Amino acid sequence: MRKNYKVITGAVIVGSILLNIFFDLFEFEGFLPSAMLYVSLISGAIGATILIVKENLLVYVAKRGFEAFVTMFVIATATFLLLRFLPGGPFDTEKALPPEIKANVEAKYNLNAPLIEQYGLYISGLLRGDLGQSYKYIGRSVTEIIAQAMPATFKLGFYALLIAFIIGVPLGVIAAYKHNTWVDNLAMAGAISGVALPNFLVGAILILIFALYFRVLPAALWESPTHYILPVLTLGLRPISIIARLTRSSVLDVIRSDYIRTAWAKGLGEKVVLFKHVLRNSLIPVLSISGPLIANVMSGSFVIEVIFAVPGMGRHLVQSVNNRDYPLILGLTLLYSVVLIFANLIVDLLYSIVDPRIKLA
Amino acid sequence: MKKLIFSILSMALIVGCTKKQEKSEFGLDINDTIRVNFLTEPPSLDWSKSTDTTSSFVEINIMDGLAEFDFTKPNLSVKPALAESWEPSNGSKTWTFKLRQGVKWTDGVELEASHFVDGWERLLRPTTASEYGYYLFGVKNARKYNEGKLKDFSKVGVRAEDKYTLVVDLDTPRSYFPLMLTHHASYPIRKDVIAKHGEDTWADEGKIVTLGAYKLKKWEHDRIIHLERNEDYYGEKAKIKNVLVYMILEQSTAVGLVDTGKLDFQLEVPKSDIRVLRNREDYVNIHNLGIYYYGFNTKKAPYNDSRVRRAIAMAIDRKEIATVIGGGEKPTGNIIPPGLIGHDEEIGTKFDPAAAKALLAEAGYTDMTNFPKLTLNFNTNENHQLVAENVQAQLKRNLGVSLELKNEEWKVYLKTLRTNNFGIYRMGWVSDYPDPADFMSLMLSYSENNRSKWVNKKYDSLVEKAAAELDSDKRIEAYTQAQKILLEKDAPIVPLYVYSSNVLVSKRVKNFPINEMRQFPLKGASLVK
Repeated sequence: MRKNYKVITGAVIVGSILLNIFFDLFEFEGFLPSAMLYVSLISGAIGATILIVKENLLVYVAKRGFEAFVTMFVIATATFLLLRFLPGGPFDTEKALPPEIKANVEAKYNLNAPLIEQYGLYISGLLRGDLGQSYKYIGRSVTEIIAQAMPATFKLGFYALLIAFIIGVPLGVIAAYKHNTWVDNLAMAGAISGVALPNFLVGAILILIFALYFRVLPAALWESPTHYILPVLTLGLRPISIIARLTRSSVLDVIRSDYIRTAWAKGLGEKVVLFKHVLRNSLIPVLSISGPLIANVMSGSFVIEVIFAVPGMGRHLVQSVNNRDYPLILGLTLLYSVVLIFANLIVDLLYSIVDPRIKLA
Repeated sequence: MKKLIFSILSMALIVGCTKKQEKSEFGLDINDTIRVNFLTEPPSLDWSKSTDTTSSFVEINIMDGLAEFDFTKPNLSVKPALAESWEPSNGSKTWTFKLRQGVKWTDGVELEASHFVDGWERLLRPTTASEYGYYLFGVKNARKYNEGKLKDFSKVGVRAEDKYTLVVDLDTPRSYFPLMLTHHASYPIRKDVIAKHGEDTWADEGKIVTLGAYKLKKWEHDRIIHLERNEDYYGEKAKIKNVLVYMILEQSTAVGLVDTGKLDFQLEVPKSDIRVLRNREDYVNIHNLGIYYYGFNTKKAPYNDSRVRRAIAMAIDRKEIATVIGGGEKPTGNIIPPGLIGHDEEIGTKFDPAAAKALLAEAGYTDMTNFPKLTLNFNTNENHQLVAENVQAQLKRNLGVSLELKNEEWKVYLKTLRTNNFGIYRMGWVSDYPDPADFMSLMLSYSENNRSKWVNKKYDSLVEKAAAELDSDKRIEAYTQAQKILLEKDAPIVPLYVYSSNVLVSKRVKNFPINEMRQFPLKGASLVK
């Protein structure tokens, strides 16, 4: 029973995510795709709740939640203050504004109030879930801007991580299995280049080859699944390499351990040993790097989004700083923080499932 | 594994190859759709509030003003648009506009003179917080109303005499006033629409009411805007049915899309690619009504000595700068760009290192070792860096003077310019309306844009006089005198070159409007089918 709910929840989540990918790639629209998205989210939440209750993780999760709250508060305050110390304001423009015009604009956004009052207004808005209005994009709230830009960024990041696992893990296993052969050397040379090459260069080269020379893939834009291929590959390259290298070294460690020798000794087949005994145990370090990898993919996506004209959050993050659009900068910073904190929490919870030796409570 | 990768790639190829090319975004017929890239999301389509290129591009296609540019004429003149005719009186201090009758907004309501009064009232109202509020400061009492000192708008010099007559009183005579009415800040507005949908949100898709050649059909933020031909347009209808406005920030990405036939127009190409693109058929270079200049902080030594300023101006060979940038920029010593009255290449300092050295000697600097180190502040940008390094090399070579370069991020730089903590600075000015007044007002002693803090009462009075002058010859004469003071005698600024646009226009587009104003009304453009 104890194991059952984990398997069932896992299956439901994986199943609904696969369905989601299917709908997305074949451009189905309407009720079903969004329903599937909710199914995966709700089943994830239910699974996590059962896990928390059964494994007595309530205190642990509450503690982590409190820590997260304090962290967010510190981030919000620090970002707020740092922005105000940054020289130049949102309404400094090339064509200098007459003082009365500037006064009117600043009054509209409360920028003429004392700093402490502005801070109070901001924090109280935050507690109500109001991230404020953008200074640059008139009439658009920060929540609205983020909600419109988030799907593209998440989709890009999700697919990049997905292909990173799909390609990276087998690549690492093969390299380890064929240790010190040309296969291993080739795979690792590729992986090292993948980490070393800056993604704006990789992106430009891929565009040159596939879009401009062979003309088989679109050069940019975000209109259909065909448009996803180049940006996802470019963004995925680094995580693929990281995962491949980590899997390889981890598999090598496990392969040399006593229980694997036992498995060989008792006459198990190659596939069973490799996939059942070696792989499962080598995946824990790979899992643990997923949190940082999410950060890697999200920060890497700024550049990719600009190169491939993906309408995501990356360009906002860069431009909002250039524009000194305080509310938007703050909103995006907080969102990125929440994603990272949340991703790390999930990875920690997953540990306890994959490796029963790890006890969180 | 190989099989997996192979099958993924081949699937991608199949999907990529089988996509039909005839349809573009939203399933529009490509033969009736022009796809243009304007780099960024328009911050707002509310024409009383927007200040940037992308917003203005959309606005001039979905709206009209009292007047519009006549791009068929060689000099930048205007012709009536929403106005049928206009008449100056009272020595060009009062302007009477007769409106065209039967012009319909997209919701069917007829245009009235009161819509202009409403638009101008809203632009000037302090709580609107419009950055372009100053645009109408020439209208009687407008500034006071904007400052909040005058509460009663009926005292401001704009009124609807009847349904089709608009009368404007200016505080001083302005011969060029109709030229200003091409700008989106002067467009009419529907108060009832704003009241219905909200002050900041009325200009969204599905809410905005306009009267131009196109109307806003769809706006997917940060990605695309779809403009569709307005079939009820009062003038000649647009030839192309659909306009897709993209927001692709990275210029080289957009150039790639032009190459693959996904875009018809790209607003700006990377400077580093110009040498290659120059030979292409779809490349167009045109000068803008905009000046790139250096200025001096006249409140700080040694820049407070006009001889030093003139010497520096004379030691810079502008042609060399234009060659270094290589984007087709036109070197000029004038503050009024070519194409406007008052532009005269004879005015301004000429490149003359010997005379420059003599001037420095006159200022007491015979031995250059005791000459203070100069600093040049500019905002971080590849192009500005190129110019700054070239000027640095030229001053060293021609005068033996060392120039320290100090670059800062844009907003930090603007803040620095508000202090006294800079020497030489970089700035540019792109016109709002094609008249010398727009450029000459920059250096008025009370102008916020006079970052040199230079004061010359004679200059002020000449520029004010020229603005009011109706006789073209007398105007030019006043501007010539004023320019001589500004550029030859006092030299608080050194104009370097005229900006240029480097754009790509697909060969399938005919009559694409390319002009010095960088305005792109697409109603006259057509597609080769």
